[in-house]
Amino acid sequence: MATTTSTLASLSAEDQAPEQVHGPVTRSDLVRYAGAGGDFNPIHHDEQFARDAGLDTVFAMGMFHAGLLSRLVAGWLGLANVRRFGVRFTGQVWPGDTLTFNGVVDRVYEEDGVRLADCSFTVTRQTGDVAITATATAAIA
Amino acid sequence: MPDPSQVGLELDEVTFPVERGKVREFVRALHEHDPIYQDADAAAAAGFTAIPAPLTFPMVAMMWRERDAAIEDLGFDFKRLLHGGTTWEYVRPLLVGDEITVKRSVAAVNQREGKRGGVMTFVTIDTEITDATGGVVARQTDTLIQTGA
Repeated sequence: MATTTSTLASLSAEDQAPEQVHGPVTRSDLVRYAGAGGDFNPIHHDEQFARDAGLDTVFAMGMFHAGLLSRLVAGWLGLANVRRFGVRFTGQVWPGDTLTFNGVVDRVYEEDGVRLADCSFTVTRQTGDVAITATATAAIA
Repeated sequence: MPDPSQVGLELDEVTFPVERGKVREFVRALHEHDPIYQDADAAAAAGFTAIPAPLTFPMVAMMWRERDAAIEDLGFDFKRLLHGGTTWEYVRPLLVGDEITVKRSVAAVNQREGKRGGVMTFVTIDTEITDATGGVVARQTDTLIQTGA
């Protein structure tokens, strides 16, 4: 659930988002996201296609785990408050992976009379590899 | 291969209805359990005038094409194409009932030597998302990377 308005207004640098964990990622997750999101690139659902491309198996479309991360961003900062959300894909996510989602406030400042928070996020695999680095800016008061 | 002469090129435009069923399907695929995305009363209690769509939902409109001809026409080799990242700037939340128009153009094309040899090409695609009144709802920027042969 969304952070309450008063808690949000008191956010300050180095405050951390409540950590989330999702996993293991299944092939059903990928097929379900393919249908819901409309991404039917066979590299994300067709085992044979993935092997022919030299991979061990299919891997997740980045927008799947970007979407999982968006739950943390919207839940913590409030969907309507988010002004900007940017994701950078730094590694692949595979079936069987367990993902950990973290966020931290980098700075809080005022712009045009609005109190804004710049935050950073990561999506990390059980191996420690980072699959996404992300940033978001939200109006917090 | 994409090249800098393509900067400024308008790619295409697609109109997409934001429907409750699609939003529900999308949030279930993301294991998102916040009731604001499925229940009009919960959305209203949270201050929304209709059920909102999640932050990454504009991507669904991007996929609202039979095939991505505009991207193919830029000269990408799909076997060597990576999605580097996406940034959204939101003017307001996307809501069920919106009919959005998504218009894409080429913002930048940069080339540099890859670490393992070959030229890497970075293409920045800007997308403007407007509602039925013509007002901007959000802007999206994607980085596509063509790796060296």
